Amino acid sequence: MLARVVHLLPAELKTLLERLPEQMQEQLEEIRIREGRPLEVGFRGMSRFMTIDGNLRQTADGAYKPSADTCRKLLERITNYSLYAMEEELRRGFITVSGGHRIGLAGRTILEGGAVRGIRDIGAFNIRVAREVIGASALLLPKLIDRARKTLHSTLILAPPQQGKTTLVRDMARTVSYGLWPGYEASGWPGRKVGIVDERSEIAACVRGIPTFDVGPRTDVMDACPKAEGMMMLLRSMSPEVLVADEIGRPEDGEAIREASHAGVSVVATAHAYDLQDARGRPVLRKLLDDGAFTHVVELKRTEQGVMHRVVSAETQGRPAPRDLPPSQRAGEGPVHVSIGRQRADDP
Amino acid sequence: MIKLLGAVLILFAGAMIGFQQAAGYAERPRQLRQLAHALQRLETEIGYGHTPLPEALERTAAAAPEPIASIFGKAATGIWETESFTFRESWEQAVKAQWGATSMRGGEQAVLIRLGSTLGISDKEDQMKHIRLALQQLKAEEDAARDDQARYEKMWKSLGILIAVLIVILMV
Repeated sequence: MLARVVHLLPAELKTLLERLPEQMQEQLEEIRIREGRPLEVGFRGMSRFMTIDGNLRQTADGAYKPSADTCRKLLERITNYSLYAMEEELRRGFITVSGGHRIGLAGRTILEGGAVRGIRDIGAFNIRVAREVIGASALLLPKLIDRARKTLHSTLILAPPQQGKTTLVRDMARTVSYGLWPGYEASGWPGRKVGIVDERSEIAACVRGIPTFDVGPRTDVMDACPKAEGMMMLLRSMSPEVLVADEIGRPEDGEAIREASHAGVSVVATAHAYDLQDARGRPVLRKLLDDGAFTHVVELKRTEQGVMHRVVSAETQGRPAPRDLPPSQRAGEGPVHVSIGRQRADDP
Repeated sequence: MIKLLGAVLILFAGAMIGFQQAAGYAERPRQLRQLAHALQRLETEIGYGHTPLPEALERTAAAAPEPIASIFGKAATGIWETESFTFRESWEQAVKAQWGATSMRGGEQAVLIRLGSTLGISDKEDQMKHIRLALQQLKAEEDAARDDQARYEKMWKSLGILIAVLIVILMV
Protein backbone atom coordinates (compact mmCIF):
# COMPACT_ATOMS: atom_id res chain seq x y z
CA MET A 1 0.00 0.00 0.00
CA LEU A 2 2.94 2.28 0.70
CA ALA A 3 4.04 1.86 -2.90
CA ARG A 4 0.84 3.55 -4.05
CA VAL A 5 1.40 6.78 -2.17
CA VAL A 6 5.17 6.95 -2.07
CA HIS A 7 5.32 9.29 -5.06
CA LEU A 8 3.56 11.93 -2.98
CA LEU A 9 6.16 11.97 -0.24
CA PRO A 10 9.29 14.10 -0.11
CA ALA A 11 12.55 12.15 -0.30
CA GLU A 12 13.29 12.11 3.44
CA LEU A 13 9.87 10.71 4.37
CA LYS A 14 10.05 8.24 1.55
CA THR A 15 13.37 6.73 2.72
CA LEU A 16 12.08 6.59 6.28
CA LEU A 17 8.84 4.82 5.44
CA GLU A 18 10.56 2.40 3.10
CA ARG A 19 12.46 1.12 6.15
CA LEU A 20 9.23 -0.41 7.41
CA PRO A 21 9.01 -4.18 7.02
CA GLU A 22 7.36 -5.17 3.77
CA GLN A 23 4.35 -6.69 5.46
CA MET A 24 3.67 -3.44 7.31
CA GLN A 25 4.03 -1.46 4.12
CA GLU A 26 1.31 -3.66 2.65
CA GLN A 27 -1.04 -3.05 5.55
CA LEU A 28 -0.46 0.66 5.79
CA GLU A 29 -3.70 2.61 6.05
CA GLU A 30 -2.74 6.02 7.29
CA ILE A 31 0.30 8.23 7.48
CA ARG A 32 -0.14 11.15 9.82
CA ILE A 33 2.36 13.92 9.39
CA ARG A 34 2.35 16.82 11.80
CA GLU A 35 4.92 19.58 11.54
CA GLY A 36 7.44 19.37 14.40
CA ARG A 37 5.57 16.52 16.06
CA PRO A 38 6.06 12.76 15.97
CA LEU A 39 5.31 10.89 12.76
CA GLU A 40 2.47 8.42 13.15
CA VAL A 41 1.47 5.51 10.95
CA GLY A 42 -1.74 3.54 11.05
CA PHE A 43 -2.24 -0.06 9.96
CA ARG A 44 -4.89 -2.67 10.68
CA GLY A 45 -6.75 -0.23 12.90
CA MET A 46 -3.73 0.40 15.13
CA SER A 47 -1.40 3.36 15.17
CA ARG A 48 2.25 3.67 16.12
CA PHE A 49 4.88 6.38 16.19
CA MET A 50 7.91 5.97 14.03
CA THR A 51 11.54 6.54 15.00
CA ILE A 52 14.24 7.79 12.68
CA ASP A 53 15.55 4.25 12.05
CA GLY A 54 12.14 2.92 11.08
CA ASN A 55 11.12 1.26 14.34
CA LEU A 56 7.56 1.50 15.56
CA ARG A 57 6.82 2.58 19.09
CA GLN A 58 3.70 2.92 21.12
CA THR A 59 4.98 6.06 22.82
CA ALA A 60 6.17 9.23 21.17
CA ASP A 61 9.67 9.33 22.74
CA GLY A 62 12.47 9.42 20.22
CA ALA A 63 10.07 9.54 17.29
CA TYR A 64 10.96 11.18 14.01
CA LYS A 65 9.60 14.73 13.73
CA PRO A 66 9.04 16.13 10.25
CA SER A 67 10.50 19.60 9.77
CA ALA A 68 8.78 22.66 8.34
CA ASP A 69 10.73 22.18 5.12
CA THR A 70 9.53 18.58 4.77
CA CYS A 71 5.95 19.66 5.30
CA ARG A 72 6.27 22.39 2.70
CA LYS A 73 7.62 19.91 0.18
CA LEU A 74 4.82 17.50 0.99
CA LEU A 75 2.24 20.23 0.54
CA GLU A 76 3.77 21.24 -2.79
CA ARG A 77 3.76 17.67 -4.02
CA ILE A 78 0.20 16.83 -3.05
CA THR A 79 -1.12 20.07 -4.51
CA ASN A 80 1.01 19.71 -7.65
CA TYR A 81 2.80 22.95 -6.69
CA SER A 82 -0.50 24.77 -7.11
CA LEU A 83 -2.29 25.54 -3.90
CA TYR A 84 -4.28 28.19 -5.75
CA ALA A 85 -5.97 25.54 -7.87
CA MET A 86 -7.17 23.69 -4.76
CA GLU A 87 -9.46 26.29 -3.23
CA GLU A 88 -12.51 24.05 -3.23
CA GLU A 89 -10.51 21.22 -1.70
CA LEU A 90 -9.05 23.47 0.97
CA ARG A 91 -12.50 24.64 1.92
CA ARG A 92 -13.53 21.02 2.39
CA GLY A 93 -10.36 20.25 4.29
CA PHE A 94 -8.93 17.46 2.18
CA ILE A 95 -7.36 16.78 -1.17
CA THR A 96 -8.04 13.71 -3.29
CA VAL A 97 -5.13 12.67 -5.45
CA SER A 98 -4.93 10.30 -8.37
CA GLY A 99 -5.49 6.77 -7.14
CA GLY A 100 -8.23 7.86 -4.76
CA HIS A 101 -5.99 8.55 -1.81
CA ARG A 102 -7.34 11.22 0.42
CA ILE A 103 -5.16 13.65 2.31
CA GLY A 104 -6.81 15.39 5.20
CA LEU A 105 -5.42 18.78 6.16
CA ALA A 106 -5.48 20.80 9.34
CA GLY A 107 -4.15 24.23 10.09
CA ARG A 108 -5.27 27.81 10.47
CA THR A 109 -8.45 28.54 8.60
CA ILE A 110 -9.30 31.67 6.67
CA LEU A 111 -12.82 32.93 7.24
CA GLU A 112 -14.92 34.97 4.91
CA GLY A 113 -18.27 36.19 6.13
CA GLY A 114 -18.23 33.60 8.89
CA ALA A 115 -17.71 30.67 6.53
CA VAL A 116 -14.43 28.81 6.08
CA ARG A 117 -12.83 29.85 2.83
CA GLY A 118 -9.71 27.78 3.08
CA ILE A 119 -6.82 26.68 5.22
CA ARG A 120 -3.65 28.69 5.54
CA ASP A 121 -0.54 27.55 7.43
CA ILE A 122 -1.21 23.85 7.01
CA GLY A 123 0.48 22.02 9.86
CA ALA A 124 -0.96 18.52 9.78
CA PHE A 125 -1.58 15.97 7.06
CA ASN A 126 -3.35 12.65 7.19
CA ILE A 127 -2.68 10.51 4.15
CA ARG A 128 -5.35 7.82 3.89
CA VAL A 129 -4.34 5.09 1.52
CA ALA A 130 -7.28 4.10 -0.64
CA ARG A 131 -7.72 0.48 -1.49
CA GLU A 132 -9.83 -0.84 -4.26
CA VAL A 133 -11.04 -4.23 -3.08
CA ILE A 134 -12.58 -5.93 -6.08
CA GLY A 135 -15.13 -8.41 -4.82
CA ALA A 136 -15.65 -6.65 -1.49
CA SER A 137 -19.39 -6.91 -1.92
CA ALA A 138 -19.46 -10.51 -3.17
CA LEU A 139 -20.86 -11.94 0.05
CA LEU A 140 -23.30 -9.15 0.63
CA LEU A 141 -24.72 -8.66 -2.83
CA PRO A 142 -26.80 -11.90 -3.06
CA LYS A 143 -28.80 -10.70 -0.07
CA LEU A 144 -29.65 -7.40 -1.71
CA ILE A 145 -30.94 -8.58 -5.06
CA ASP A 146 -34.44 -7.55 -6.04
CA ARG A 147 -35.57 -10.56 -8.07
CA ALA A 148 -38.79 -8.99 -9.27
CA ARG A 149 -37.10 -5.97 -10.82
CA LYS A 150 -33.80 -7.66 -11.64
CA THR A 151 -31.87 -4.97 -9.84
CA LEU A 152 -30.69 -4.04 -6.37
CA HIS A 153 -32.90 -3.23 -3.42
CA SER A 154 -32.65 0.26 -2.02
CA THR A 155 -30.08 -0.21 0.68
CA LEU A 156 -28.71 1.86 3.52
CA ILE A 157 -25.26 0.86 4.74
CA LEU A 158 -24.41 1.84 8.30
CA ALA A 159 -21.01 1.83 9.95
CA PRO A 160 -18.71 4.02 12.00
CA PRO A 161 -15.84 5.68 10.06
CA GLN A 162 -13.03 3.52 8.67
CA GLN A 163 -15.03 0.30 8.37
CA GLY A 164 -14.98 -0.03 4.61
CA LYS A 165 -18.31 1.51 3.63
CA THR A 166 -16.89 3.33 0.65
CA THR A 167 -14.95 0.30 -0.54
CA LEU A 168 -18.15 -1.70 -0.35
CA VAL A 169 -20.39 0.70 -2.28
CA ARG A 170 -17.70 1.17 -4.90
CA ASP A 171 -17.58 -2.57 -5.49
CA MET A 172 -21.38 -2.76 -5.54
CA ALA A 173 -21.53 -0.02 -8.16
CA ARG A 174 -18.88 -1.78 -10.21
CA THR A 175 -20.55 -5.20 -10.02
CA VAL A 176 -24.00 -3.87 -10.88
CA SER A 177 -22.62 -1.76 -13.70
CA TYR A 178 -20.80 -4.73 -15.26
CA GLY A 179 -23.83 -6.94 -14.65
CA LEU A 180 -21.79 -9.50 -12.72
CA TRP A 181 -24.81 -10.59 -10.73
CA PRO A 182 -24.08 -13.35 -8.23
CA GLY A 183 -25.93 -16.61 -8.19
CA TYR A 184 -27.49 -18.91 -10.75
CA GLU A 185 -30.84 -17.26 -11.33
CA ALA A 186 -29.36 -13.80 -11.72
CA SER A 187 -26.59 -14.82 -14.07
CA GLY A 188 -28.21 -13.54 -17.29
CA TRP A 189 -29.33 -10.17 -16.01
CA PRO A 190 -28.00 -7.13 -17.79
CA GLY A 191 -25.78 -4.56 -16.14
CA ARG A 192 -27.58 -1.55 -14.80
CA LYS A 193 -27.03 2.14 -15.39
CA VAL A 194 -25.40 3.42 -12.25
CA GLY A 195 -25.18 7.03 -11.13
CA ILE A 196 -22.69 7.92 -8.41
CA VAL A 197 -22.82 11.20 -6.57
CA ASP A 198 -19.32 11.47 -5.23
CA GLU A 199 -19.33 14.56 -3.07
CA ARG A 200 -15.99 13.81 -1.46
CA SER A 201 -14.35 12.20 -4.49
CA GLU A 202 -13.92 8.99 -2.54
CA ILE A 203 -16.02 6.44 -4.38
CA ALA A 204 -14.67 6.94 -7.87
CA ALA A 205 -11.71 9.20 -7.03
CA CYS A 206 -12.12 11.30 -10.14
CA VAL A 207 -9.21 13.30 -11.41
CA ARG A 208 -10.47 15.95 -13.81
CA GLY A 209 -13.84 14.25 -14.07
CA ILE A 210 -12.53 10.80 -14.99
CA PRO A 211 -12.80 8.02 -12.39
CA THR A 212 -9.45 6.52 -11.38
CA PHE A 213 -11.14 3.51 -9.79
CA ASP A 214 -12.90 0.97 -11.92
CA VAL A 215 -16.56 1.75 -11.25
CA GLY A 216 -17.91 -0.12 -14.25
CA PRO A 217 -18.73 0.62 -17.87
CA ARG A 218 -22.29 1.85 -17.29
CA THR A 219 -21.50 4.22 -14.47
CA ASP A 220 -21.75 8.00 -14.50
CA VAL A 221 -20.07 9.98 -11.78
CA MET A 222 -21.03 13.44 -10.59
CA ASP A 223 -17.81 14.42 -8.90
CA ALA A 224 -17.41 16.86 -5.99
CA CYS A 225 -21.10 17.67 -6.20
CA PRO A 226 -23.37 18.24 -3.20
CA LYS A 227 -25.27 14.96 -2.78
CA ALA A 228 -28.83 16.23 -2.91
CA GLU A 229 -28.24 18.40 -5.94
CA GLY A 230 -26.14 15.72 -7.62
CA MET A 231 -28.81 13.08 -7.17
CA MET A 232 -31.44 15.35 -8.70
CA MET A 233 -29.14 16.26 -11.57
CA LEU A 234 -28.40 12.61 -12.32
CA LEU A 235 -32.08 11.68 -12.08
CA ARG A 236 -32.97 14.37 -14.57
CA SER A 237 -30.12 13.98 -16.98
CA MET A 238 -28.59 10.51 -16.86
CA SER A 239 -31.59 8.24 -16.12
CA PRO A 240 -29.79 6.00 -13.64
CA GLU A 241 -31.30 2.70 -12.50
CA VAL A 242 -29.15 2.52 -9.39
CA LEU A 243 -28.08 5.65 -7.56
CA VAL A 244 -25.10 5.56 -5.20
CA ALA A 245 -24.30 8.20 -2.61
CA ASP A 246 -21.87 8.29 0.27
CA GLU A 247 -22.49 9.58 3.78
CA ILE A 248 -25.99 10.97 3.63
CA GLY A 249 -27.35 12.86 6.59
CA ARG A 250 -28.63 16.29 5.64
CA PRO A 251 -32.34 17.03 5.26
CA GLU A 252 -31.98 17.81 1.55
CA ASP A 253 -30.33 14.41 1.01
CA GLY A 254 -33.47 12.82 2.39
CA GLU A 255 -35.63 14.76 -0.06
CA ALA A 256 -33.51 13.66 -3.01
CA ILE A 257 -33.56 10.01 -1.94
CA ARG A 258 -37.33 10.08 -1.57
CA GLU A 259 -37.56 11.60 -5.03
CA ALA A 260 -35.34 8.86 -6.43
CA SER A 261 -37.30 6.04 -4.83
CA HIS A 262 -40.55 7.45 -6.21
CA ALA A 263 -38.95 7.41 -9.62
CA GLY A 264 -38.30 3.69 -9.21
CA VAL A 265 -34.55 4.11 -8.86
CA SER A 266 -32.75 1.91 -6.37
CA VAL A 267 -30.68 3.97 -3.99
CA VAL A 268 -27.58 2.63 -2.30
CA ALA A 269 -26.40 5.03 0.36
CA THR A 270 -24.06 4.94 3.33
CA ALA A 271 -24.31 6.79 6.61
CA HIS A 272 -22.21 7.15 9.72
CA ALA A 273 -23.92 5.22 12.49
CA TYR A 274 -22.96 2.42 14.82
CA ASP A 275 -26.06 0.36 14.13
CA LEU A 276 -29.71 0.67 13.13
CA GLN A 277 -30.78 1.90 16.53
CA ASP A 278 -28.12 4.59 16.40
CA ALA A 279 -29.24 5.55 12.90
CA ARG A 280 -32.82 5.92 14.07
CA GLY A 281 -31.56 8.54 16.48
CA ARG A 282 -30.81 10.79 13.52
CA PRO A 283 -33.96 12.55 12.32
CA VAL A 284 -33.19 12.42 8.61
CA LEU A 285 -32.31 8.73 8.62
CA ARG A 286 -35.26 7.85 10.82
CA LYS A 287 -37.64 9.59 8.49
CA LEU A 288 -36.20 7.82 5.46
CA LEU A 289 -36.43 4.44 7.22
CA ASP A 290 -39.98 5.13 8.35
CA ASP A 291 -40.98 6.15 4.85
CA GLY A 292 -39.66 2.88 3.52
CA ALA A 293 -37.18 4.57 1.22
CA PHE A 294 -34.73 1.80 2.07
CA THR A 295 -35.93 -1.77 2.03
CA HIS A 296 -32.66 -3.13 3.37
CA VAL A 297 -30.25 -1.92 5.99
CA VAL A 298 -26.71 -3.27 6.30
CA GLU A 299 -24.58 -2.85 9.40
CA LEU A 300 -20.84 -3.21 8.99
CA LYS A 301 -18.40 -4.04 11.74
CA ARG A 302 -14.73 -4.51 11.33
CA THR A 303 -13.15 -7.14 13.52
CA GLU A 304 -9.75 -8.77 13.68
CA GLN A 305 -10.91 -11.39 11.19
CA GLY A 306 -12.26 -8.91 8.66
CA VAL A 307 -15.45 -7.09 7.91
CA MET A 308 -18.69 -8.51 9.33
CA HIS A 309 -21.98 -7.50 7.88
CA ARG A 310 -25.52 -7.95 9.07
CA VAL A 311 -28.48 -7.40 6.76
CA VAL A 312 -31.80 -6.27 8.13
CA SER A 313 -34.52 -6.59 5.57
CA ALA A 314 -37.79 -4.77 5.63
CA GLU A 315 -39.26 -6.67 2.76
CA THR A 316 -41.97 -9.21 3.32
CA GLN A 317 -42.83 -11.84 0.74
CA GLY A 318 -43.28 -9.81 -2.42
CA ARG A 319 -45.08 -7.08 -0.52
CA PRO A 320 -43.33 -3.74 -0.10
CA ALA A 321 -42.49 -2.67 3.38
CA PRO A 322 -45.21 -1.06 5.45
CA ARG A 323 -44.40 2.41 6.69
CA ASP A 324 -43.52 1.44 10.22
CA LEU A 325 -41.51 -1.67 9.67
CA PRO A 326 -37.82 -2.23 9.56
CA PRO A 327 -36.02 -1.88 12.89
CA SER A 328 -34.18 -4.87 14.19
CA GLN A 329 -35.70 -4.62 17.63
CA ARG A 330 -39.00 -5.72 16.14
CA ALA A 331 -37.45 -8.85 14.73
CA GLY A 332 -39.95 -10.95 16.65
CA GLU A 333 -43.02 -9.22 15.24
CA GLY A 334 -42.68 -9.50 11.53
CA PRO A 335 -40.96 -11.52 8.86
CA VAL A 336 -37.65 -9.75 9.20
CA HIS A 337 -34.76 -11.60 7.79
CA VAL A 338 -31.44 -11.20 9.47
CA SER A 339 -28.29 -12.77 8.23
CA ILE A 340 -24.72 -12.45 9.25
CA GLY A 341 -21.90 -12.61 6.79
CA ARG A 342 -18.23 -12.33 7.23
CA GLN A 343 -15.42 -11.51 4.89
CA ARG A 344 -11.87 -10.43 5.08
CA ALA A 345 -11.10 -6.85 4.25
CA ASP A 346 -8.10 -7.77 2.16
CA ASP A 347 -9.65 -10.54 0.08
CA PRO A 348 -8.66 -10.23 -3.57
CA MET B 1 51.15 45.96 -45.43
CA ILE B 2 51.04 44.11 -42.11
CA LYS B 3 50.55 47.42 -40.30
CA LEU B 4 47.57 48.18 -42.49
CA LEU B 5 46.08 44.76 -41.82
CA GLY B 6 46.57 45.28 -38.05
CA ALA B 7 44.92 48.67 -38.18
CA VAL B 8 41.93 47.23 -40.03
CA LEU B 9 41.66 44.42 -37.47
CA ILE B 10 41.75 46.89 -34.58
CA LEU B 11 39.15 49.09 -36.22
CA PHE B 12 36.96 46.07 -36.84
CA ALA B 13 37.33 44.79 -33.26
CA GLY B 14 36.62 48.20 -31.78
CA ALA B 15 33.51 48.61 -33.90
CA MET B 16 32.30 45.15 -32.91
CA ILE B 17 32.82 45.78 -29.19
CA GLY B 18 30.91 49.02 -29.51
CA PHE B 19 28.06 47.41 -31.41
CA GLN B 20 27.85 44.57 -28.96
CA GLN B 21 27.58 46.93 -26.00
CA ALA B 22 24.98 48.94 -27.86
CA ALA B 23 23.06 45.78 -28.69
CA GLY B 24 23.01 44.92 -24.98
CA TYR B 25 21.34 48.26 -24.25
CA ALA B 26 18.81 47.72 -27.01
CA GLU B 27 18.13 44.11 -26.00
CA ARG B 28 17.49 44.64 -22.29
CA PRO B 29 14.23 46.62 -22.55
CA ARG B 30 12.98 44.20 -25.17
CA GLN B 31 13.65 41.19 -23.00
CA LEU B 32 12.10 42.95 -20.02
CA ARG B 33 9.00 43.53 -22.10
CA GLN B 34 8.93 39.86 -23.15
CA LEU B 35 9.39 38.80 -19.54
CA ALA B 36 6.48 41.00 -18.52
CA HIS B 37 4.32 39.45 -21.22
CA ALA B 38 5.28 35.98 -20.04
CA LEU B 39 4.38 36.85 -16.45
CA GLN B 40 1.05 38.26 -17.60
CA ARG B 41 0.37 34.99 -19.33
CA LEU B 42 1.31 33.13 -16.15
CA GLU B 43 -1.05 35.36 -14.21
CA THR B 44 -3.90 34.49 -16.55
CA GLU B 45 -3.16 30.78 -16.32
CA ILE B 46 -3.11 30.91 -12.53
CA GLY B 47 -5.88 33.41 -11.92
CA TYR B 48 -8.44 32.43 -14.51
CA GLY B 49 -7.39 29.03 -15.80
CA HIS B 50 -6.54 27.47 -12.41
CA THR B 51 -3.86 25.62 -14.34
CA PRO B 52 -1.46 23.66 -12.12
CA LEU B 53 1.86 25.46 -11.85
CA PRO B 54 4.09 23.06 -13.82
CA GLU B 55 1.64 23.08 -16.71
CA ALA B 56 1.17 26.85 -16.47
CA LEU B 57 4.95 27.30 -16.66
CA GLU B 58 5.22 25.03 -19.67
CA ARG B 59 2.47 26.86 -21.51
CA THR B 60 4.10 30.17 -20.69
CA ALA B 61 7.39 28.83 -21.98
CA ALA B 62 5.76 27.66 -25.20
CA ALA B 63 4.36 31.13 -25.86
CA ALA B 64 7.46 33.14 -24.95
CA PRO B 65 10.54 33.76 -27.12
CA GLU B 66 14.02 32.64 -26.10
CA PRO B 67 15.85 33.19 -23.79
CA ILE B 68 12.82 33.97 -21.58
CA ALA B 69 11.16 30.68 -22.51
CA SER B 70 13.93 28.51 -21.15
CA ILE B 71 13.72 30.11 -17.69
CA PHE B 72 10.11 28.98 -17.39
CA GLY B 73 10.72 25.67 -19.12
CA LYS B 74 13.64 24.81 -16.86
CA ALA B 75 11.76 25.73 -13.71
CA ALA B 76 8.95 23.38 -14.73
CA THR B 77 11.20 20.43 -15.54
CA GLY B 78 13.39 21.06 -12.48
CA ILE B 79 10.66 20.03 -10.07
CA TRP B 80 10.24 16.65 -11.74
CA GLU B 81 13.91 15.93 -12.13
CA THR B 82 15.07 16.56 -8.60
CA GLU B 83 12.73 15.09 -6.05
CA SER B 84 14.23 16.82 -3.07
CA PHE B 85 13.69 20.34 -4.41
CA THR B 86 11.02 22.72 -3.30
CA PHE B 87 9.61 24.82 -6.09
CA ARG B 88 11.51 27.85 -4.85
CA GLU B 89 14.84 26.06 -5.21
CA SER B 90 14.01 24.79 -8.65
CA TRP B 91 12.92 28.24 -9.80
CA GLU B 92 15.98 29.93 -8.34
CA GLN B 93 18.27 27.45 -10.05
CA ALA B 94 16.53 27.92 -13.39
CA VAL B 95 16.70 31.71 -13.16
CA LYS B 96 20.38 31.70 -12.26
CA ALA B 97 21.35 29.13 -14.88
CA GLN B 98 19.60 30.96 -17.70
CA TRP B 99 20.57 34.46 -16.66
CA GLY B 100 23.85 34.45 -18.57
CA ALA B 101 21.96 34.04 -21.82
CA THR B 102 19.91 37.19 -21.26
CA SER B 103 20.84 40.87 -21.34
CA MET B 104 19.05 41.50 -18.08
CA ARG B 105 20.67 42.67 -14.87
CA GLY B 106 20.65 41.98 -11.15
CA GLY B 107 17.56 44.08 -10.39
CA GLU B 108 15.31 41.96 -12.58
CA GLN B 109 16.85 38.78 -11.25
CA ALA B 110 16.06 39.78 -7.67
CA VAL B 111 12.45 40.48 -8.68
CA LEU B 112 12.09 37.06 -10.30
CA ILE B 113 13.68 35.18 -7.41
CA ARG B 114 11.43 36.95 -4.93
CA LEU B 115 8.44 35.96 -7.05
CA GLY B 116 9.61 32.35 -7.10
CA SER B 117 9.46 32.07 -3.34
CA THR B 118 5.73 32.80 -3.38
CA LEU B 119 4.53 30.99 -6.51
CA GLY B 120 2.23 28.05 -5.92
CA ILE B 121 1.92 28.20 -2.15
CA SER B 122 -0.97 30.55 -1.56
CA ASP B 123 -4.48 31.18 -2.79
CA LYS B 124 -5.41 32.70 -6.11
CA GLU B 125 -5.77 36.32 -5.02
CA ASP B 126 -2.46 36.20 -3.27
CA GLN B 127 -0.73 34.69 -6.29
CA MET B 128 -2.13 37.36 -8.57
CA LYS B 129 -1.03 40.10 -6.20
CA HIS B 130 2.51 38.80 -6.14
CA ILE B 131 2.68 38.51 -9.91
CA ARG B 132 1.30 42.03 -10.33
CA LEU B 133 3.85 43.37 -7.89
CA ALA B 134 6.61 41.69 -9.88
CA LEU B 135 5.16 43.16 -13.08
CA GLN B 136 5.22 46.65 -11.60
CA GLN B 137 8.81 46.25 -10.54
CA LEU B 138 9.73 44.97 -13.98
CA LYS B 139 7.98 47.98 -15.53
CA ALA B 140 10.17 50.30 -13.44
CA GLU B 141 13.25 48.40 -14.56
CA GLU B 142 12.09 48.60 -18.14
CA ASP B 143 11.65 52.38 -17.96
CA ALA B 144 15.14 52.70 -16.56
CA ALA B 145 16.44 50.39 -19.27
CA ARG B 146 14.83 52.55 -21.97
CA ASP B 147 16.47 55.66 -20.53
CA ASP B 148 19.79 53.85 -20.59
CA GLN B 149 19.16 52.75 -24.15
CA ALA B 150 18.45 56.32 -25.32
CA ARG B 151 21.52 57.57 -23.56
CA TYR B 152 24.13 54.91 -24.22
CA GLU B 153 23.19 52.94 -27.32
CA LYS B 154 24.35 55.54 -29.88
CA MET B 155 27.26 56.52 -27.69
CA TRP B 156 28.63 52.94 -27.58
CA LYS B 157 28.22 52.53 -31.30
CA SER B 158 30.42 55.54 -32.04
CA LEU B 159 32.64 55.12 -28.98
CA GLY B 160 33.84 51.67 -30.07
CA ILE B 161 34.99 52.80 -33.47
CA LEU B 162 36.43 56.09 -32.13
CA ILE B 163 38.54 54.29 -29.53
CA ALA B 164 39.76 51.91 -32.22
CA VAL B 165 40.71 54.92 -34.38
CA LEU B 166 42.54 56.44 -31.41
CA ILE B 167 44.51 53.23 -30.83
CA VAL B 168 45.41 53.05 -34.51
CA ILE B 169 46.57 56.68 -34.52
CA LEU B 170 48.65 56.16 -31.39
CA MET B 171 50.26 53.05 -32.87
CA VAL B 172 51.15 54.59 -36.23
